[in-house]
Formats: sequence, C-alpha cells, structure tokens
Amino acid sequence: MKERSKAYQARIDKALATPKLQQALHQFGDAYLVSREKAFAGLDFEALRREIGVMKDDVRNNHARYMQQFIDNAQAAGATVYQADTAEDANRYIAELAVKQGVKLTVKSKSMASEETHLNKALEAANIRPLETDLGEWILQLSGQRPSHMVMPAIHMFKEEVAYLFSKETGQQEPADIAHLVEVARQQLRQGYLDADMGISGANLAIAETGGIALVTNEGNARLATTLPKTHVALIGIDKLVPTLEDAAKVIRVLPKNATGQALTSYVTWIRGAVPCGDGEKDLHIVLLDNGRSRLAADENCCETSRCIRCGACANVCPVYQSVGGHVFGHIYIGAVGIILTAFFHGFDNAAEIVKACIGCRSCVAVCPANIDLEGIILSLRETIADKEGIGGGKSLVFRKVMRNRKLFHGLLRAASVLQKPVTRGERTIRHLPLFFSPLTEWRTLPAIADKPLRDIWPKQRLNAPAKKVALFGGCANDFLYPELGTDLIEVMNHLNVEVDYPLEQNCCGVPALYSGDKETATELAKQNIDAMLKDNPEAVLTTCPTCTMALQRDFIECLKDDPSWKAKAERLAEITVDAAGYIVNQLEAADQFENLPLAQKVTYHDSCHLKRGAGVWREPRQLIETSGHELVEMDHADRCCGFGGSYSLTGHPEIAKQILGDKLQDIEKTGADCVAMDCPGCMMQLRGGLEKNESKVQVAHTVELLAAGLRAAKAKQS
Amino acid sequence: MDLYNQFCVAAETSGAVLVDCKGPAEAVGYIVKHSDGGVLVPSSESFKRVDLANQLQKAGATLLEVNRSQAAEAVSGVTSACFAIADTGTLVLESTPEDVRLASTLPTRHFVLLDRSKIVADGLAAVDSLRRMHQRDMRNYIAYITGPSRTADIERVLTIGVHGPKQLHILLLDDWSSDLLEM
Ligand code: SF4
Ligand code: SF4
Repeated sequence: MKERSKAYQARIDKALATPKLQQALHQFGDAYLVSREKAFAGLDFEALRREIGVMKDDVRNNHARYMQQFIDNAQAAGATVYQADTAEDANRYIAELAVKQGVKLTVKSKSMASEETHLNKALEAANIRPLETDLGEWILQLSGQRPSHMVMPAIHMFKEEVAYLFSKETGQQEPADIAHLVEVARQQLRQGYLDADMGISGANLAIAETGGIALVTNEGNARLATTLPKTHVALIGIDKLVPTLEDAAKVIRVLPKNATGQALTSYVTWIRGAVPCGDGEKDLHIVLLDNGRSRLAADENCCETSRCIRCGACANVCPVYQSVGGHVFGHIYIGAVGIILTAFFHGFDNAAEIVKACIGCRSCVAVCPANIDLEGIILSLRETIADKEGIGGGKSLVFRKVMRNRKLFHGLLRAASVLQKPVTRGERTIRHLPLFFSPLTEWRTLPAIADKPLRDIWPKQRLNAPAKKVALFGGCANDFLYPELGTDLIEVMNHLNVEVDYPLEQNCCGVPALYSGDKETATELAKQNIDAMLKDNPEAVLTTCPTCTMALQRDFIECLKDDPSWKAKAERLAEITVDAAGYIVNQLEAADQFENLPLAQKVTYHDSCHLKRGAGVWREPRQLIETSGHELVEMDHADRCCGFGGSYSLTGHPEIAKQILGDKLQDIEKTGADCVAMDCPGCMMQLRGGLEKNESKVQVAHTVELLAAGLRAAKAKQS
Repeated sequence: MDLYNQFCVAAETSGAVLVDCKGPAEAVGYIVKHSDGGVLVPSSESFKRVDLANQLQKAGATLLEVNRSQAAEAVSGVTSACFAIADTGTLVLESTPEDVRLASTLPTRHFVLLDRSKIVADGLAAVDSLRRMHQRDMRNYIAYITGPSRTADIERVLTIGVHGPKQLHILLLDDWSSDLLEM
C-alpha cells in the first residue's frame, strides 16, 4: 500500500473511533432533513434546481462576457478589481495591499476561498494579524484547525473544547454553556472591528448586471467587517458569477433552505462599489480567484460542478461524511463536491484517497440544488486518477485478464464454489475466513458461492401462449450467489404469463471494474452484454440488481458514447431495461395479480441507493408488498445506504462500510418487522450478513422472493 | 393568507418582535420604554417628516450622535425599512449611508419602522425595487434583515445575538411611507 493510503487509513480509523463525532453528524443529518423539507414546503425543488442548473450553465458557456460585464460595472462603481490566476497570486495581492496600507490587523468574515488559498498564513508571513470573526472560524483559528464543513466549519467540535479554547483566550474559566460562549465571542471580537484597518470577506454571488456582490450570512460579523474598516477586500471564486439580480434572487431562495433548512439567513448584504466609509469612501478591492476553476469549467466530464453554489448539502446527507467527518472525507472543501473541487483546486494527489472513499450511494445527487450529477462525476474522476496512478496491481489483473474472459471468470467462480467447502461447512454462508481474509467476515457473514449457478439450473418454461417474452440480466450476485432469486423471478413472471429467457453469453455488468477506474474492461464487458442481451430481441430486459440496472441504462452508453454503432445498440438496451418491480407495476400494470397472498408478515423496506436515486423506483416495490397482504412498516432513513457498495465494503473501505451497516441494522431492528425487503442482491448480502452476525430474527428477502413465496403458498393451499 | 399576515408569521418565526403601532407617537413610546441607554437615530426621509429624533428626545430617549465611537456605546438603533418581503419575513434597508449601518449593526437592539402597505411577496418580487435602487445610486449597500443575529456554530444549537443585534423589533404603522425606495 502507498504511504499516502496508509496515512489515510489511519485517519479513517481515528475518526471511526470517535463515536461522539458520528453521533453529532447523524443528529445534524436527521434534523437537517426535517427542517429542509419544511423550508421547501410548497416549492417545487426539482423545478428550482433545474432552473439554477440552466442558469449556471449559461454563465459557464459565456463566462468571459459576463465576467467582463461584472468587472466593468464594479470598476465604474469605484471598486478595484484584481484577477488572480492562482492561490499564491491572490494571497500575494492581498498581503502586498495590506503592507502598502500599513495594515496591522484584518478582520475576516467567513470565506471558503480564503481557506482554499491559505490566506491567513500568507498574511501572518507579512506580519499582519488575520482575525477570524465568524464564530466557527474563530474557534478553528484558536485551535489551529481547518473547517470540517463548508457552512458549519466547527461542526466537529464540542462545547467543552470551545470553553477550553475561550478560557485560554480570556484568561478566565469560561463555563461550557453555549449561550455564555457566544457572548464571550461577541465581547472578545467587538474591538477587533473597530481597530482593524482592513476587512476581508468572501461572497456568495457576484452579479454581472450590477458589478455588485452579495453575502448570505447569519451572525452579523460580515456586516461589521465590511462596514468599519477603511479597506474591504472581497475574495471571490469566479464561479460565483450570475448574470442578473433575478438570478441572484433565485440562488438566495434555495441556498439557506438547502444549506441548513433555514428559510433565509438573518442577513443578505448587497454591496456595490466604494460605499461611504467614515469621512470618506471605502477602498474596495475585489479579488477574483481562478485557481483551477477555469480548468474545471473546461473539463468535459466534470464541468457541471461549476454550477455549485456551496450549500454544503452534499455532505449533510452523505453516509461516509456522517461516519468519518469532513476532516477525513475532504481536503479543504469536503463531501461530494469537495472531492471534485480538491482535484482541480488542490491537485489530483490530494483527491486520490477521498475519491475512493465515496461509496456511490447518490444521496448527494438527490439533494444538490444545482442539479449536479456528483456521483457520476466522482466516478469519472476516479477513472482519471486510476489512469494516472494505475489501479492496484492484483485487482487490475483480475479485471483485464479474468473478467473480460467470461468462460475463465465463470470457471473460476465454479471452482471457488468447490474450494470454499472447508469454510462453509456445507452452509449457505461463510461466517469466518482464515488468515488475512478474516476481517471480511468479522462483522458480517458472506454468502457462499452457490453449488450450481442460475445459468445451470435455468428451467424450461411451459407457458401456452406467453403474453410477453423477456430476458433476465442476472448479474454476478443473482447468478452465482442467489440463483434461487432467479427461479423465483420465473415463478412471478410466469404467474403473469410472461416467459423469461436467460441469455448464457451475459457476463458481469462491469460496474466493479468501472468503479475501480478500469473503464477499458467495463467497455469490453458492455459490448459482450449488449450482444448477449439483444440477440433474441426480447421485449424487455429485466434486472433484479439495481446496480446492474444502472450499468445497462447509463454506464454502457457512457462507455460507448464515442462509437456511434455501439452507442445506438447501448441505447436500445437501455431503453428496454427495467427492474422487476417497476416492470410489474408500471409496464404490465399487474400489481393486483398479487392481491392478498398467504404468508403475510410485518415487512419493512430498505431502498437501495441505485434503485431509488438511480432508477427512481421506490413506490413500486412498496405497492407490491402491501398489495400482496404484508403489513408495511417504514424504518427511519429507509433510503440511507446499507454500506455495501460492492468492492467498497470488501476491499475498499470495509471499516466505513461496517459503520454505515451498523446504523442501518439499528433502524431495521427498531421497526420490529419480521422481514426486511429490498430489491438488490448486494444489499441482501450486506444486510443478511450483518443481521446473521448479530443473531437477529429479522429475515432478509428480495421483493421478488416475497412474491414467489406467497404464490407458492397460495398454490399449496389450493391443491 | 395576505402578504401582511404572511410577513408577520414569517418575521415572528425568524425571532423578530412585532409591535402594532397606531401612529409614530406609539412607536416612540415603545422605543423609549425598551431603551435603557443611548439611542442612534440616523436621518431618513420618513423620520424627517415627523421629526422622529426630536420626538424621541422629548419622550426621554438619550440620543447619541451617529458616529463610530458613539455607536459602539449605543444600546438601541432606530431605522425605517424601505419595504419588506412576505415569504421570509425580511426587512429591506437601504444602508448605503454609513449611519444606517452603524445603527443596525452595533447596538444590541434594533427598532425598525415599517409601513404595513410596503410588503412584496418574495425575493423575486423584491428585485424590481432592488434594481431601481441600483439605478438610482451608483454605489450601494443594501441589507436584507431577517430576525436578530444568530449562530449555530457551537454544537449546532441555535443561539441568538452573536455579533449583530440581539433583538429586532418591527414597529408596524399605517400611512408612514408609501415609496418602496424610501427609508
Ligand atoms: S455518492 Fe454517497 S458516498 Fe459518495 S459522496 Fe455522494 S453521498 Fe457520499
Ligand atoms: S455540489 Fe450541490 S449540494 Fe454540494 S455544495 Fe455544491 S450546490 Fe450544494
């Protein structure tokens, strides 16, 4: 393992050993979702975010023009504008300006851009004292730390730590009472505004139409820092540009709501030009920071990220962030967007570990108010970084030599089924593995490879006049781990007079390779699968695994987009691919065919990430479960990731996966359900493994299995 | 719900105190009653019409000169809103003159007089006036104020009054001002 990876692993372990942090982030995440929903009540979030996406794309495509308009207007209003290409460039300009003006003390309001450039260090090197006045930033400055969240920088700290820091500052014993500590900050920082010769702020928006900026804040320190000192420096990322005041209003409408669930922050401050200051006028300097933003905007795969309005929501909902915090899952910028920004602002090396720490659950995508496909971009970035670094030796060989050769791959899986006998002792699950494999089964059992894969036991179906002929894309889990899920699907489909074929040439969907950054193997597998699945021209291709669904619906096209004839075939396959529950409910409209089956139990439902946030399917399986007579009880966080993430939980970051699984198991047990249903063999593997290890009574079932069991029981009753 | 009621609900949710006033005299009485120290009264068109500063002084308020050193000592600042935004309970203050900023940032209490008829629906509806302010003056410092100053930076616990005013009192009046650009 690389030194860097080892160091990163150590930081993960340390974070995971701080349950107080996880508890705090979980509580915040829960409260956030509730207040966010309230804040958006009556508004159409999807429409709002589409609008912001379109507006920001327009800015990206016409950046030079809007920027010139902004600069012209700002200068006409008396501002001095400086365009800084790099962080060093920006720091130098600001430090030199301060030195020239004889500034001793600067008061800063919160600015992520200044964190990005490490401005404080540059100022200190020039003998200028930067005083952070945002409460969270001040706490961090006193403790010598960096923010762990973009909106709530000190979210990882507790009041006792703050009391300790403040006591050192005041020389008195300050009690760990939050209201008191806030008052201490008020008193301590007050004089700073009056003494400082320079105020430094960021900005949430730069408005081309006016040449003004807007600051969206709560504490009031930004108003003081931009009012009292003689000089105001606004350090602004060039991606904060919007064309008009209406566009600014649209961003402000969603920003606080999506950041913290607040309808609006206490203050929105619109500043244009050299406004009155004391007896004269303000010396306003606007420093426009590029530092990788132009490269990001020009990057074919990542450019959507330029839409980001820095609300921080993509971290709030991220299970990895909630498990390890922003210091581990981020660099300066944190969470999903942090991965991408880090790669462009701070270099690929700083992003190489965090890009692998994302489990791919798409929670971030669902809440992003700028409509950015963060998970898709992270995936492409992983590929870029894998290309640069070469992916781990063993793994890449498996992908290239083994998986691309279906017969070899399947042959090895069959051989493994025999070889595993000593560890399975004839059971269907592996509880313990020897030697260095043992961590894999420490906290969950693993399914054994089936004696006979689905492809070997696929039965002849005897429907007289089938209404439809479809094909199943099984995927590795369905084929080699859970073949009975495939035969259950036949049972369910035959009940609806649908015949299911299993094309034998199908191979792994390629996601494991793709998610590890091996696009070449993924592309080869895409071609094999397209040929296999389209061969007999089925009316639909069904899936039981939503990760495969996404591969067939999205990734194949992406892999083959530069090859027109393949692309057309990939699109054809994408068009006819559908998950089993969605097919029954939406296409066949046949949910009622499962009315009131026997074996009713109390069932709770776990949403698989890729089914809910990839395919947009979550109502359908619930409808089937309820129609077939089960009592459906919702768990908390039903759509939170289970921590499987394919190879993520096996070889990538099993410790984080274990943490995320633990949360999920608690939510399941709390419902008191007999059974937890889902529509993903990966989730089944993870949840069954965890529940078995905990010796829980809760059963795990695929929705298709529940339906098949009900049908069988109904038949048995009849005869 | 009409705009006025919507504004009141949202402003109260944000932590502002709403005060119904029959006329400027009642507002003056309220401010004096709630100010136990120096009061800043920056000049504005609407204030001039009724000579508000004078009224406050007569009613017993200790008026301070609006400059930096005095402002730092003041307990109350009194301003008048150009208009308000209903859906978020927001006050819009043309704060380009520094006096207005000193009175609305440094003291612990901020009293804002608002004409009940000057309320627009939401942030987008506010843009028209916002733009006209930008067209009227070449340089601007315009403040949207929603409730008192707040923070949740320590353990995400909402705490009122960090760097700005700890209290925001909105004094609601009729026939006070009809121009959305006038303070
Ligand atoms: S996909 Fe999931 S794990 Fe990855 S960054 Fe987004 S929320 Fe976090
Ligand atoms: S990527 Fe989206 S969710 Fe994340 S900070 Fe930016 S706008 Fe917010």
